Amino acid sequence: MYGWNGKILRVDLSSGKVNREELDKYLAKEFIGGRGLGVKTLYEELEPKIDPLSPENKLIFATGPVTGTKAPTSGRYCVVSKSPLTGTIFDSHSGGFWGPELKFAGYDAIIIEGRANKPVYIWIADKQVEIREASDFWGLDTHTTTEKLAKETDPKAKVACIGPAGERLVLISAIINDKHRAAARGGLGAVMGYKQLKAIVVRGTGKVEIASEKELDEIYDESIVAIRKNPITDKSLPSLGTAVLVNIVNEHGMYPTRNFQEGLFEDAEGVSGEKITETILSGRRACYACPIACGRITKTSKKEGEGPEYETLWAFSAQCGVNDLEAVTNANYLCNELGLDTISTGNTIGCAMEMHEKGFLEEKIEFGDAEKLVELVEKTALKEGVGKELSEGSKRLAERHGCPELSIQVKGLELPAYDPRGAQGHALAYATSNRGGCHLRAYLIGPELLGTPALVDRTKPEGKADLVMNFQNLFSAIDSMILCVFSSFALNPYHYAKFMTAVTGVEYTGRDLMTIGERIWNVERLFNIREGFGRSDDSLPPRFLSTPLPEGGSRESTVFLEKMLEEYYDLRGWDNRGIPLNSKLERLGLSR
Amino acid sequence: MIDHTQLDPSAEYQKIERLCDEALRYGFYAVCVNPCHVSRCAKLLKDSGVKIACVVGFPLGSTTPEVKAFETRDAVENGAHEIDMVINIGALRSGDYELVKRDIEGVVEAAKGRVVKVIIESGFLTDEEIVKACELSKEAGAQFVKTSTGFGPMGALPSHVKLIRKTVGKDMGIKAAGGIKDFRSALRLIKAGANRLGTTASVPIIDGMEWMKFSNSWFIEEIPCKICPSRFASLFKQPTKTFLYYKEKCRVCPNKEFNRFYEK
Repeated sequence: MYGWNGKILRVDLSSGKVNREELDKYLAKEFIGGRGLGVKTLYEELEPKIDPLSPENKLIFATGPVTGTKAPTSGRYCVVSKSPLTGTIFDSHSGGFWGPELKFAGYDAIIIEGRANKPVYIWIADKQVEIREASDFWGLDTHTTTEKLAKETDPKAKVACIGPAGERLVLISAIINDKHRAAARGGLGAVMGYKQLKAIVVRGTGKVEIASEKELDEIYDESIVAIRKNPITDKSLPSLGTAVLVNIVNEHGMYPTRNFQEGLFEDAEGVSGEKITETILSGRRACYACPIACGRITKTSKKEGEGPEYETLWAFSAQCGVNDLEAVTNANYLCNELGLDTISTGNTIGCAMEMHEKGFLEEKIEFGDAEKLVELVEKTALKEGVGKELSEGSKRLAERHGCPELSIQVKGLELPAYDPRGAQGHALAYATSNRGGCHLRAYLIGPELLGTPALVDRTKPEGKADLVMNFQNLFSAIDSMILCVFSSFALNPYHYAKFMTAVTGVEYTGRDLMTIGERIWNVERLFNIREGFGRSDDSLPPRFLSTPLPEGGSRESTVFLEKMLEEYYDLRGWDNRGIPLNSKLERLGLSR
Repeated sequence: MIDHTQLDPSAEYQKIERLCDEALRYGFYAVCVNPCHVSRCAKLLKDSGVKIACVVGFPLGSTTPEVKAFETRDAVENGAHEIDMVINIGALRSGDYELVKRDIEGVVEAAKGRVVKVIIESGFLTDEEIVKACELSKEAGAQFVKTSTGFGPMGALPSHVKLIRKTVGKDMGIKAAGGIKDFRSALRLIKAGANRLGTTASVPIIDGMEWMKFSNSWFIEEIPCKICPSRFASLFKQPTKTFLYYKEKCRVCPNKEFNRFYEK
């Protein structure tokens, strides 16, 4: 096989057994790898309704055929599991260098099963795979863990690990690799923590076999031209990082402020990409094979680290009404060190602030309190005091206090930094996301705000179901190859298909990738339906449907969800309950 | 039909080289550059079939006919195949049509049969002035009317292109230029009557067209106000008279109900 290594590691932490399995060729062709491989495997192997925090749940670390090649942005991997936060199928992605390293070690994926009876880590050095005791590392933050494990194994080894949050089964905990990169969403750090798996340390010295180096060079050159000619990938992201979006989204009046009560943050400029560049920026960093280099190295008076990225910046500033960039950055550093999802953490704290403001929460947590914000991040990770409640995410928090409407989430996953009232397509993407409130299943902000690949009217619901479906399908394929979705600002299905063909030697067209993406999307849907999710879960928090934004560029807007949802189900080939029709499944080769 | 354009005064030589490389790779009709880059492009594109368009009197159009003619001769000597000249906008708005026509004729003559595109900078003009500018361009022997420089108050807009097409008829070319950033805006201008596009976003436009295969939603009509010149009217960028002209058009427009925008 080219592109794929053809090998999967299956590690049973209960028995300590490690098996090397052949990669199923059907799985590789029809689901590509990464996310596709992970969700199909879990759909086949997990019993319905299992507790995500039980030995029965599995945790898959997967790469794709393009991972570790010269294809731009191919430095990613994903973690797939049943989420303890949402109860849905869940894949969480991360950049850096860990994914390629696993590929160089000779594996496409690791399937982790069972539960260790004491803290362990997995050490992979090419063919050598060991489960080692990690009691000495348990309790350490992710930075210290990374440094110590590299020292104990190989200085060149790459480490993906959990911090104290994951160890304590915090439902919004992350898996951190290369110190600063996070597979953050969905609380998969808690799954790792439950399994008592502190880290996976990898050292690989092999290389990815390419079917046609010549074809790869050609499409590489072509894609580099496209990336250089795109103002977002050539200018905005390299210059200001993802935080370039702060002022743009705020100007459109859809920068969620004080738990999505407003869409215009009065202090946005003070916590923007421009401000970061003027003040705390000390360098830029790229993931493996990335010509965009959106990573920011920053320095506050307390320490140095990476970030904050756009979503994080929002979560700890506008969402919490905080205008102190230093505090926001320190909260971000803490999340990386303790192993927390910054979006869910900030969103949940913002929810607690509104709950306090409205009298649902006694604890004095007020909008704008920067000091308290940093304190709460730590308490959440360590499950101390009110942090214990925050550690379960906003849905459980708000429900417990009798105000579920104040939790801004979809299917239990906290929403990120775009108010859906300002962009109808993006609203539908949130509502229909298989993993809950997420901007990366279909980034409609591209066409609705940024004009990539073309600008469409963000206020109109017409035509959005079609666009959302297409983006969901393509992104499912990109997440399976795996490339960073930022590449899609400049690249299109043709480029992705060319990369697949050059790397694997299997002929793909853009339409093939769309079909594969659709197949993956439907398997995820089937998984969720089996878990009890249905049409009522394809929704949005009530304020988006009935309460218009008070001011700014999206004022007076609400979401026309039902109209778009009907059309979306129809286009998807699902019945009005959101269940895929047999005819659709047959066409995708998924008939029951 | 695309003039792959780089008119940034700060563009380094490397950018011009890249422009030519992209034009060759994508098979664009021409590159459009400032006069100082024409000979460089001529070397890079020799025998390739990709034409070189050079701007003249750019971007203000406020030099004399003699200077524009000299610039044109120089550009032709350096290898330009097409000339994109800016008209004397102030003269047109003053009603000095003789000067405007002489200005264009001078360039047409100096171009020695090469294609001349007359940039009328439509964002400075009322509809009546646009019509007059088109008529003068045609009378002076130019082959194309071009909407804008990209440095003026407005870019290319479908309603202006439609008006120009209506005025010049089907035998004269129309180059839409300025602010064409994606394939939807490109297609709208072609539908309105343009047969040449000038843009720096040529690569994203061509690459973006791939997306059209998968969704019909890209073809949904834009809200009329979003692509109306009145939406781009600005007192800071336009003469007061022109600004008020567009605002008045908006006030009496039958599509007024769509005019609901808040963002900057």
